[in-house]
Amino acid sequence: MTEKLSEERLEKIRQLIMNPRPGSKVAAAKEFGIDLTLTFGQLRKTPQQRLDDLQSAMRGLEEFARAGAEWRKRNNGRI
Amino acid sequence: MVEFEPAIKSLTAKEVDFVIIGGVAISVHSTGYVTRDLDFCYLQTTENLKRIVSAFAHFNPRLRGFPEDLPFIWDERTLQSGTNFTLKTTIGDIDLLGEVAGVGDYQAVKKESIIARLYDCDVRVLTLEGLIKAKRAAGRTKDLLVLPELEALREMLSETDEE
Repeated sequence: MTEKLSEERLEKIRQLIMNPRPGSKVAAAKEFGIDLTLTFGQLRKTPQQRLDDLQSAMRGLEEFARAGAEWRKRNNGRI
Repeated sequence: MVEFEPAIKSLTAKEVDFVIIGGVAISVHSTGYVTRDLDFCYLQTTENLKRIVSAFAHFNPRLRGFPEDLPFIWDERTLQSGTNFTLKTTIGDIDLLGEVAGVGDYQAVKKESIIARLYDCDVRVLTLEGLIKAKRAAGRTKDLLVLPELEALREMLSETDEE
């Protein structure tokens, strides 16, 4: 797996996202509501950096869930 | 939540034949997909089962969703008795799959994998093509929702391939 995409390739991908070809999968994803600029942001990273992002997101979600559970406990189950 | 680093390093140190699949594989391919567990497909040979047992023994694996007091022995005999296992461990939820719907058994999954460098280890990860096949075959709403992004990503990478 390529460690990091070249700037030239990233620019080509950026163009595909900004000007999707009608009938393409890129156009279909945009129509579906996917923000491909976020995908593009991930493409700039190495596989390790992407995995680190996921781990960090998981930690954040767990902390959020824990805070919610503590809040409910303090407020007798009410949200 | 699952801690990726100890899981991946332990599997690699014990030379387990495995391929990362599911949400973690999707993330490695560069989407913002968030998952809670680590899924991997494993080779179902006695030797590999021994390696898996050894790799995870110190993470105290138990079957997820079963009572804590239900007896469970983590050894290769237990792994030989099934194909897929959903485990709760001290480092989080880990799923072991002997095969992947839409792709096939371990050998088919391995053929549909690429090597990524993670935590200084060379690790096999299911390809975008494999993930698309697996998500289509799974067919649940949560699987189908991720398909448009995976297909767009595959298209962008294939249309700009420099090789």
